[in-house]
Amino acid sequence: MPDVTLPASRRRVLAALGGAATALTGGCLRRVRTLAGWQSSQQVRLRIKTLPADADPYALKVARAVAGWFDAAGVDAGVVPMAEQELLRQTLLRNEFDLFVMRLPPRHRDPDALYALLHSRYADAPGWRNPFGYADLDVDDLLDAQRRTDGADRADVLGELQRTIARTQPFTVLVVPDDVAAARTDRFGNWRSVDLASPLGYLSLARAGDDGETTLRLAVTDRRATSNLNPLSVEFRRDGILTGLMYDPLGYDVRGEVRPWLAEAWWFVRDDPPVARVTIREGVTWHDGESLTPADVAFTYDLLADTALGGDGGDDDVPVPSPRFGGRTSLVDEVTVVDDRTVSVRFADVHPAVAPRAFTVPILPEHVWGDRTDPAGIGGIDFGPVTEALVTNNIPPVGSGPLRFVRNTPRESLVLERFDDHFLGSESVEDGGLPGSVGPPAFERLSVQVVGTDSTAVELVADGEADVTATPVGARTVPRIGRDEALELLVDDSDQPYVLGYNVRRPHLNNPRVRRILASLIDGEHLAETTFQGYGRPAVGPLWGTRWYPAEFAWAEADASPVTPFLGSDGDVDVERARSAFREAGYRYDDDRLVGGNA
Amino acid sequence: MTLLSVLLQVAVVVLAMHAVCLPAVVGVDGVRGSLGRFRANARSVAPTAVGLGVVLGVNKLVRDAGVELSWLVGANVTPTIHALEGRFVSQLQSVATPPVTTYFSFVYVFGYAFLLVFPIAIYALHDDDRPLRVALVAYSLNYLLGLVPYVLFVAYGPRNFMPELVESLLYTTWPQAQLLTGQVNANTNVFPSLHTSLAATVAFLAYRFRSAAPRWLPLAALLAASIAVSTMYLGIHWVTDVLAGIVLAAGSVELGLRLCDRSSREPSGSVTP
Repeated sequence: MPDVTLPASRRRVLAALGGAATALTGGCLRRVRTLAGWQSSQQVRLRIKTLPADADPYALKVARAVAGWFDAAGVDAGVVPMAEQELLRQTLLRNEFDLFVMRLPPRHRDPDALYALLHSRYADAPGWRNPFGYADLDVDDLLDAQRRTDGADRADVLGELQRTIARTQPFTVLVVPDDVAAARTDRFGNWRSVDLASPLGYLSLARAGDDGETTLRLAVTDRRATSNLNPLSVEFRRDGILTGLMYDPLGYDVRGEVRPWLAEAWWFVRDDPPVARVTIREGVTWHDGESLTPADVAFTYDLLADTALGGDGGDDDVPVPSPRFGGRTSLVDEVTVVDDRTVSVRFADVHPAVAPRAFTVPILPEHVWGDRTDPAGIGGIDFGPVTEALVTNNIPPVGSGPLRFVRNTPRESLVLERFDDHFLGSESVEDGGLPGSVGPPAFERLSVQVVGTDSTAVELVADGEADVTATPVGARTVPRIGRDEALELLVDDSDQPYVLGYNVRRPHLNNPRVRRILASLIDGEHLAETTFQGYGRPAVGPLWGTRWYPAEFAWAEADASPVTPFLGSDGDVDVERARSAFREAGYRYDDDRLVGGNA
Repeated sequence: MTLLSVLLQVAVVVLAMHAVCLPAVVGVDGVRGSLGRFRANARSVAPTAVGLGVVLGVNKLVRDAGVELSWLVGANVTPTIHALEGRFVSQLQSVATPPVTTYFSFVYVFGYAFLLVFPIAIYALHDDDRPLRVALVAYSLNYLLGLVPYVLFVAYGPRNFMPELVESLLYTTWPQAQLLTGQVNANTNVFPSLHTSLAATVAFLAYRFRSAAPRWLPLAALLAASIAVSTMYLGIHWVTDVLAGIVLAAGSVELGLRLCDRSSREPSGSVTP
């Protein structure tokens, strides 16, 4: 058809121009202007930004599959792979994306993590704080409400919240993967019983026999930690395990319950709003020998809330909050020093059961970070001023954690060593509710070696040059790991699902109806079976696997997402169904191309 | 050390290839007779060789910084390259069989190292220092000119763009090789293919100076062609990168010849091939 219509329309234009040339009548010009007011129709074009195959075993394949399904429905869909640092910069700092395929950062099974991820107060904030630009007043109310309740009430609110999110789809959960790793059992033995997705896992490792100096050697595909160890950096942090081993939080989340760590104990002295007294362990020192004081704790919460610390007091000073830990620090109103071992934490309007999540941020030394509150000269963040604290590479880092920095070779390696003055060496943390296996590191040193891809990482472990792969490896390496008797295959279910994020600031994607149709063009079951070879499962929301996950969100059968059922079967889109869904949403088809609904 | 053992393997194999090919190409008498020539040549091209060393050092430094710079100023052209050529590489991979993969993996790592070093050896034994000088200058030009597109464009190879269609054959069959290639190159620098451009440079030089080593030409041509195909077969490069690499090679050789002619016009009469 277009072969006929195109010349015809060209003839019309020529005729109009001819008419204009012979008789410049006002009526004709008016007609041209009126016509020009109508936008010419263009195909809906979406680009998915994601990681290359070297950096992540699945992300690119998932993005390509999603683009293929969108393509089948007439969308001009394409995939743009880019280095992780650049991807985070473009998506989380500059909002330069249509769609992204990434894993959510860790600890997104805590329902309060949704607060920073989706609250509209963060729609313009950098980092993993509402990167979608999503704003829904009902969701805002529910996010606030879940912070103020506990028990059955909170479950009701969270159920309602998850249903609203699933209905409006600011992001689509693609697959909840299993993290696969290869480990050698000749030097460390208890790999299966430790959780390598948490710093505590590394502190629970036990030697397998031989004495003497031991280095725990990690093979990773993520090179960023070799050149930046700033816990506040958005672009350089993935899971925060290495920085987590160097910086202590007041408490650790152990299976949904926050347990004292750097804090000896805390107790609530008031409930509405909650006020807690936190006692810090005795005699804790920083890696440079200075002692860790309650002033450092108070300073940390001030710094995370505003890394400029109020600036020089001028009129144009706006707070520059840390893009990481933003959700957690928003629970806190004020932290004040009580005596030489105690701080008083006054919380915002939250329930005492939710409040302790604020204790899981890393505590930073005032004598180092106090000098980093000035605006930084360069940086990737365009909106608003940037402080040195957010852009420093923080090498060498001065923390208080069980491991201390030794040296780094950018892009190649990083070496840490055991910090012998850490409280783990003198105190048992067992009675605080932490796993009994947690203790001082079973190794003198920890080394990180960067390799190109997951299969090379597995090979290093197989060759005895590394003890474990510390970034997830793909399912395709499983046979290789299984064949080798020296290797142990570790499979842990992960709390970091792969998600498709929508930039709802962009045309088409600002329409929840369109996002729902796009979500129903995704066959999560098929992805889990083929791309992940069974090492993953589809889910509706990030709270999958927790007690807060609504029962009706369980997947009853293949292809049938309980919220956005796949418009097709077995990974093949039913083109007619997809088209009628888009037509119902006000879109048109020009041949096979989906054309914008604004005409 | 896995990396060291890979390096050692490459060194041993390349040396062995020299031991076989040197007598075959130059002849045993030729090798014995021209050792004196070698010393004179080494002396006369020493400044050029130092120049190549400097270029390699600068190249390494600039490329490390260049990756950062590329993300800042460069254009991500991967989707454009894909739009240009589509699924050519995955079609090429459809003929994959284990022996073919072994051949191309061998050529990509060992054949390439041999191809770059061997002409230096035979030209060093030649009566005239011009082929050696031109070869060193052409190598340097490849590295120098290649830097420009590396900074201007960010491009991932097929294996990092369409992994469901293109397998990363080298790194799945021989993962240790990546420890070596990772030292040499970043995975965002695939346009143009430096593997292809240097291989093609050697082939073009072998043709230009065929009178100096007539038996080297067919071997060089075969190896260079295999290397160009291997970069695509192994999923590392696009056909666009390979074509750009050939253009870069032709330009480097042409420019190298002119530079050497200009600098050595007055003294030793040049032997035109």
